[in-house]
Amino acid sequence: MTDITGWPYESGRGFNFRFTKRKLIALACIAASIAVPPLLFRSTPFLPSHIALNIAVGVSFILMALSLNVLLGYAGQISLGHGAFLGVGAFASGLLTSKPQLPVLVGLLVAAVVGALFALVLGVPALRLRGLYLAVTTIAFAFMMEESLFRWEPLTGGSAGLELPRPLAGTFAFSQHADYLAFLLVFLVGFWLFDQNITRTKIGRAFNAIRWDEKVAQGFGVPVASYKILAFVLSGALAAVAGALYGHLIGFINSESFAFKSQPNYSLLLVIIVVIGGLGSRSGVAVAALFYALLPRFLEFLQGWEMIVGAVALIDVMARHPGGIAGAVRQRAEKRGEKKARGDLSSTDDDELPKLPKLPRPAGLPERPEILTGSALLEVHDISVTFGGLKAVDEAALTVHQGQIVGLIGPNGAGKTTLFNAISGFVKPEGGSAKFLGRELMDLPPHARARLGIGRTFQQIGLTKDLSVNENFLLAQHVAADYPVPKGLLYTASAGGSERAMRKRATDAIEALGFEAFTDTPVRNLSHGQQRLVELGCVLVTAPELLLLDEPSAGMSPAAVENLGERLREIRDDLGRTVLLIEHHIPLVLDVCDYIYVLNFGKVLAHGTTEEIARQPEVIGAYFGEAVA
Amino acid sequence: MGQTLITGLATGGIYALLAVGIVLVFKGSRVLNFAQGEMGTFGLFIAFWLIERQNLPWIVGALGAIVVVAGIGFAFERIVVRNMGDAPRLSVAVATIGLLLLLFALELKIFGPSPQILPGPISGLGIKVAGFFVSPTQILALLTAIGLGIALATFLKRTDFGLGVLAASQDPGATRLVGVPLARVSAFTWALAGGVSAMAALLIEPTVGIFAAGFMTGLFVRGLAAALIGGLTSLPGAFVGGVVVGIVEAFIQQRYVQSTFPGIGSVAVMVVIVLVLLVRPQGLWGKAAV
Repeated sequence: MTDITGWPYESGRGFNFRFTKRKLIALACIAASIAVPPLLFRSTPFLPSHIALNIAVGVSFILMALSLNVLLGYAGQISLGHGAFLGVGAFASGLLTSKPQLPVLVGLLVAAVVGALFALVLGVPALRLRGLYLAVTTIAFAFMMEESLFRWEPLTGGSAGLELPRPLAGTFAFSQHADYLAFLLVFLVGFWLFDQNITRTKIGRAFNAIRWDEKVAQGFGVPVASYKILAFVLSGALAAVAGALYGHLIGFINSESFAFKSQPNYSLLLVIIVVIGGLGSRSGVAVAALFYALLPRFLEFLQGWEMIVGAVALIDVMARHPGGIAGAVRQRAEKRGEKKARGDLSSTDDDELPKLPKLPRPAGLPERPEILTGSALLEVHDISVTFGGLKAVDEAALTVHQGQIVGLIGPNGAGKTTLFNAISGFVKPEGGSAKFLGRELMDLPPHARARLGIGRTFQQIGLTKDLSVNENFLLAQHVAADYPVPKGLLYTASAGGSERAMRKRATDAIEALGFEAFTDTPVRNLSHGQQRLVELGCVLVTAPELLLLDEPSAGMSPAAVENLGERLREIRDDLGRTVLLIEHHIPLVLDVCDYIYVLNFGKVLAHGTTEEIARQPEVIGAYFGEAVA
Repeated sequence: MGQTLITGLATGGIYALLAVGIVLVFKGSRVLNFAQGEMGTFGLFIAFWLIERQNLPWIVGALGAIVVVAGIGFAFERIVVRNMGDAPRLSVAVATIGLLLLLFALELKIFGPSPQILPGPISGLGIKVAGFFVSPTQILALLTAIGLGIALATFLKRTDFGLGVLAASQDPGATRLVGVPLARVSAFTWALAGGVSAMAALLIEPTVGIFAAGFMTGLFVRGLAAALIGGLTSLPGAFVGGVVVGIVEAFIQQRYVQSTFPGIGSVAVMVVIVLVLLVRPQGLWGKAAV
């Protein structure tokens, strides 16, 4: 079954988590080894209570910062109100452990659920809002929480506050800071592994793609709306747990503990930590969190000067290293690797284009349907798109037959790319229909169209340019990653198997392209021609039935364009794919296309076989000022 | 009813001043200035020092505060924002959080944490208009907001430099090509933003009577709400947004004054934001997506 609704939870078989024994033992060992030292040294001079408390505060800050990193660092959605989530978690867990005296673990579980629910409420406006609009909405949310719900005395005790005890089970409670530190360290390991599972599965890649460009993400079949909500929910739940753990550590919270006006202002502090650490860098964020948690505690004797110096230092660090700690480290590494990389770059000449990967259909996708060569693959009827008063596409109609390369030509502004966007779902046409394999596309969101087997390239290169070639090839296989999101978060055996298959496939594709040397090179460091090739490879990696190519020759050298013709024929003849091609380079079009549509002012002006169009030099001459053929 | 409307209009005018500062900086540098509110608080401390400690007249203190805070905005643009040229806007925003923290720390270090008292320029019950009382500060707030609005509109639409400011927010590259000194435009917006922030603080303080470090945080959020409702890049939008937020808040507070549920005004502001943005994700006057 294909799941074209794209809701990540529904795309697989039911729940059957299979933890292997080895995995469980390994997990227990890591957790135990990290939690044992504080227990061993409790009430000894090696770990005095106040030191244990300070370390525990540091660990709590790491947990809080990691929660925001998921949302801001990975998915690129700004929350300036994360303090509210900390507060929600702390109050939820505090109420359950203080009044009904339930164990801390129950409190934490409920905190996670409540945090996730609040995040869901905040995530819904996020679907419509971007950038600053979203940021300001999150501030308003936090402000509302602190001025109303947190001050509602029947619930939270208002400014009189709430005591947070630390009962574990029965009569045992974490009375000593060292014991609680051990407990926190287990959570640190848990958060860390959970976070790793996000980044090493399709979930993290989908987040990254959304941060880079939502259209690119949708082009690769990522259901952007669902993943945005998912990022909010994960982040909100993690923040609530972190806030609850912190609340139980400090033992008392009130309505002002997590307020925007309080010192510290956790909402802004977490943003500072994530940005200083380096967006999306786990270790960078952890280092920054420790720094911000501990340094002020050791500098209190400076009586206010430390705040002044700290603020100036923050401005200075941001001005010098806008990418934070991780950004600075990466820059140094890149500088060191620059010489070597430059040598590699020159070895692959743009003129000498390698072969495209010839890959079978991935296992995660439905069986390739029986299509007769020559039958209509894509039928577009009377599509119109209007921008303001301008008709960009005016009742355009075209048919693409299986196994053909169909050219779409016309002068700049003729509406070619707009028509592409209408077919792939990025713009909404006023009317008309587009059927792919007999299925109406217009009711489907873009990512679902990609899942059906329509791959496309973009004029500006549809890749996540900050990520490496390999990571882009993994992202491109999003539609083939058939495991449900919860399994990915827990990295179950089936998710792991699927990921391994995808990595193998990415390696094969990169090898076929001859790009092994660039496997870990960020795409932005490649030449334009190389980026084009990687993009083509990424589109082909899931073996889509139809390829929409938007000016693939743009920015290529003449020799490379000639080679591109070879590759396009290869896509048609060897891979058996169908291509709809926007191109300005007329010799290329006449060389490879079986059928050509000429578009101007949004209307289809002429269409026919390449021979027929080539016999009308006035058509071509009118648009390109020269008679070709 | 009418009384509440007047209260709402007067506070709305002050929110509008803050919103104008936020919009100006956003137009000039595409960045959210988190220090917008705290710059105003810092201005209050300057005014307090000049008026209460040096025994200068109110107007001198106020002007001094406006000039100093405008200077802070100008200096921050020159030293930090300009050098961050192509850096991610979020990093620049975090740098403005740094400025917020710096001002806050300076206030604490110099004046201490306890609240200070700064009386308003005019005292007394105010005048009765059509059966409603209007306090002197309310009149002053309204007049300042209206006056500043007219002055800004005239300046931006009627002078070459003003048109440059408007153009720069649309397309910085093209603006530079036609010979507008972009650097000066950006510095100017920051200075102006600092100035209006100080004005807003000076006008709102008398209604509370006392102030301390962090005084403007709540107002900053309301100014943000106003700017957002207006569309972030629109100055008329900022004025309308401010008035909308002020009036909605005044009415809700008046209606639910007996409510045991706290912060009903804040809830109302949040609901208004969400409703406006659900209908118009770009705000009422906003154009391009950010």
